[in-house]
Amino acid sequence: MTRLLPARFGAVSRRLLLLLVTAQLAVPMFAGKAHAATLDEIKKRGYLTVATEDDFRPFEFVKDGKPTGFDNELVEDLRKYAPFEIRQEIIPWTGILAGVSTGKYDIAMTAAIITKERKQSLDFTSPIADATHFYVKRKGDSSISSVKDLSGKTVGVQAGSALLARLPELDGMLKKDSGTLGKIVEYTSYPEAYQDLALGRTDYVVNTVINLKTLVAEKPGAFELGQAVSGKSFPAWAVAKGNTELLAFFNEFIAKERPAAGSPSCRRNGSAMHSRICRLRSSRNSNGSVGKTGPS
Amino acid sequence: MSGGDIASIFQGAVVTITLSLIGILIGLPIGLGLALLRWANVPVIARMVAVYVSILRATPLVTLLLLLFFALPNIGVPINPISAAILALVMNTSAFNCEVWRAALMNFPKDQYEAAQSVGMRASLRFRRIVLPQILRVSLPGLVNEMSLLIKVTPVLAVVGVVDITRAAVRIGAQTYEPLPPFLVAVALYAPIVFALVALQRWIERRQLATEAAA
Repeated sequence: MTRLLPARFGAVSRRLLLLLVTAQLAVPMFAGKAHAATLDEIKKRGYLTVATEDDFRPFEFVKDGKPTGFDNELVEDLRKYAPFEIRQEIIPWTGILAGVSTGKYDIAMTAAIITKERKQSLDFTSPIADATHFYVKRKGDSSISSVKDLSGKTVGVQAGSALLARLPELDGMLKKDSGTLGKIVEYTSYPEAYQDLALGRTDYVVNTVINLKTLVAEKPGAFELGQAVSGKSFPAWAVAKGNTELLAFFNEFIAKERPAAGSPSCRRNGSAMHSRICRLRSSRNSNGSVGKTGPS
Repeated sequence: MSGGDIASIFQGAVVTITLSLIGILIGLPIGLGLALLRWANVPVIARMVAVYVSILRATPLVTLLLLLFFALPNIGVPINPISAAILALVMNTSAFNCEVWRAALMNFPKDQYEAAQSVGMRASLRFRRIVLPQILRVSLPGLVNEMSLLIKVTPVLAVVGVVDITRAAVRIGAQTYEPLPPFLVAVALYAPIVFALVALQRWIERRQLATEAAA
């Protein structure tokens, strides 16, 4: 049974609509007031919230229910280093940088590649690795043997990633040989991209050389590492824009964790972390196509 | 896939079941309350409920969740992933429940209500004895339908860091580079959860039939 509304209800609903429209306009104003905690505030409240990912092997992943990987080893070191409690939130890539810029998390200890666009809302620590972008193809795909063969082929890459943002570099490389970048398929995370590559829905996947080396080492029968498709690329941790004291705190921590290039500690296999950083380095150096200078 | 991996998917199942149950138990009465406000045509409030329900039905759960999770702290309301997930689930499901309840209320025979009034039953008693038992029976299939949808929409809660069955499976695939085995386990886990719910519905319906036959 429908009830016919008296005219005054129409007026009320118009007012309601107006209110809703105003509310929508007001939301960005709140967003503008986003506040990230400074180092002093963190010390005062006694804890710092770290956000990490859960499916970006080898940087961060979950094994037997435990956070594992390069960044998680650094989180463990941070617990010993920091004079306050470290709380960790493990979330997918989708919300991680937004969470840092809105002050929900104090830092993203994930391999976030430094880009100009991200620098507008975030500040980055010194790089935690040197990770040029490479392509990976299906094992035995004879149609691809060098970068120029990628022309017109379908590429899989993570949505909202620096890998995606820097595909124009590959396009430039292809154009030199009068080729062109093919169709781009975006995934929410890399495991799906690898799976689609294995299934033949894409022809190659672009990710950092560090991620791809781990993939190929784990699945040598399925995938084969290609060559570099970008210039240098540096993953780093991100804090909210303008949070300079916290940034300095983390840069000190990274400096302490990272032995100078070629220093004895790199060869000496000191702490787990030192050897970890050295391993990441050597994975870069053993691949001749990448420059020799370390992260700066 | 190791034993630890399977254990972590089962941990995800605990999260899926717990959050779904909380969402259902809170969303159900709120949906009924909203439907009653609209049914009684309370001035202004009934219109507000209609607008609220329309907006929520038009908002994807994942968008609502991200908005709550990132916007609320900016207006001084700290919210953790679990609370944000529960709030989003309840807001979403209550809107849909409201419409199921309202459909039953609109079909409720008015003469019964007037008969109850004429024998001097107070409003609360009329609702408990006359209205609720009848609309419950009519609404049950629709409500259970909405509940089973709610259970299967829980994977979107992963965007704020809630690890349900599906996210636990995704994590295993990301570590082993073999996504299919964990997904098979995940699918096998959803089915019994929903079947349990449907079995509960059948049991309630049989019991209702039995009481009617006895009366």
